[in-house]
Amino acid sequence: MIARKDLVLEFRTRTAFLSAAVFTALVLTVFNFGRDPTAVPTLDLAPSILWVTFTFAAMLAFNRAFQLELENDALDALLVSPISRSSLYLAKFVANCVFVGVVECVGLPLFVLFFDVPVWGVLAPLAGVIALATVGFVAVGTLFSAMVIRTRFAELMLPVLLLPFLIPPLVGAVQVTAALLAGRPLSEVTGWLRLLAAYDIVFLALAAVLFPTTVNE
Amino acid sequence: MADGVASLLALDVPQNGGYMVAAYIVAAVILAGYALSLYRRSRNR
Amino acid sequence: MTLAQRGRWVTLVGLILLAGVYVRALAFTPTEATQGLAQKIYYIHVPAAVWAEMSMIFIGLASVFFLFLKDPRLDRFAEASAQVGVIFALVVLTTGPIWGKPIWGTWWTWDARLTLTLLLFFIYLGYLVLRGAITDPGLRARYAAVIGICGLVLVPFIHFSVLMFRTLHPQPIVLKPSAPSLPGVMLVTLLFSFGVFTILYIGFVMQTYAIAVANETQVDG
Repeated sequence: MIARKDLVLEFRTRTAFLSAAVFTALVLTVFNFGRDPTAVPTLDLAPSILWVTFTFAAMLAFNRAFQLELENDALDALLVSPISRSSLYLAKFVANCVFVGVVECVGLPLFVLFFDVPVWGVLAPLAGVIALATVGFVAVGTLFSAMVIRTRFAELMLPVLLLPFLIPPLVGAVQVTAALLAGRPLSEVTGWLRLLAAYDIVFLALAAVLFPTTVNE
Repeated sequence: MADGVASLLALDVPQNGGYMVAAYIVAAVILAGYALSLYRRSRNR
Repeated sequence: MTLAQRGRWVTLVGLILLAGVYVRALAFTPTEATQGLAQKIYYIHVPAAVWAEMSMIFIGLASVFFLFLKDPRLDRFAEASAQVGVIFALVVLTTGPIWGKPIWGTWWTWDARLTLTLLLFFIYLGYLVLRGAITDPGLRARYAAVIGICGLVLVPFIHFSVLMFRTLHPQPIVLKPSAPSLPGVMLVTLLFSFGVFTILYIGFVMQTYAIAVANETQVDG
């Protein structure tokens, strides 16, 4: 119910989606102009470019989500309500996942278009990896943005705090994406997939447990 | 010392002592410098 | 003696013994034949790296206990451990490249120790920056504890990531790094150095903790 509320808020302020989508397109464009196609094969850099873009977009998402809440003074009202803190976290988590997911749905086709990468054969597993890594990002990002939003310089604070935590899932995501785009079988990267899955489970549970601490008075 | 032994065995020991000196100095500066800053901070009470 | 004074003495002892480590490592430990003198950086680099990681583990544990017990002393200890952890991480991140250049041929390598320490360094920075940005002590302690626990949990993930990455991408090696089994003399030097870094950690933390207490009483008074 809270997730729906968040999303409804988002739709009303459609600028949030729009700015994230445009941002993604811009980042991809910049990456394209930054590289020399004769120097390094696109396929080498493509996975990294994709994931850096998604990471930036996710950051935008987290900041927006809680900012909206603060602007609407909704957070205090929610805290008074009988909804448990952990459900509050899960609702925010779901809302953020959807937001980032939509941005990724915009970003992926653009990525395929700009960088001419062969995704058609591996679209399903690729979508799976993207989902897997996104869950990890959003799990930690939702928790941290809840804390950061109460500080000054929230927009600066969040990347500083969050990025080290995103390195393991990011590395895993890039490795698996690279394998998929190079046409290698998934069996080669089961280690990374297990890392991603473990990260998701552990940090989602941890964040759900720790979230109440961040909103208790 | 060991270089003498090495040359007896005709082993080619890389001459990179400069790096060792640099690293040891840097580490000493950081640790001693931090100790000094702690000393001064805890005295100004 | 106050905590600060005792801390100062411990640190002093640590620094004197550190000089002892220097003397032992430089003059009384044999040079590794294939790596040359630069290998001796190992005796400073490795104990510092161990303590850079241990500091995080202590922060994590203190944070967990703090959330259950709400004892502000645990929070102060975590903060002290973070500040000291940054310093040890700095030692690792400076001596590492200086060691790397002659041995690996390049200033930076994504080897296990350097990568882990780099990420720890950023986590420490984030932790301290977050603390600095919150004025309310209760809120600050709770938020810091959350980061501390997440940091602790992240450490094994970093280890695994680096391990998997390295088996995929072997490092370009100019000279082989030291074998896991050190000859006795070198092992003693390493253990001695590790003991000294332990003493330094304790002394630094004692002083930092005392400074934190003094800061708090100053604010209240």
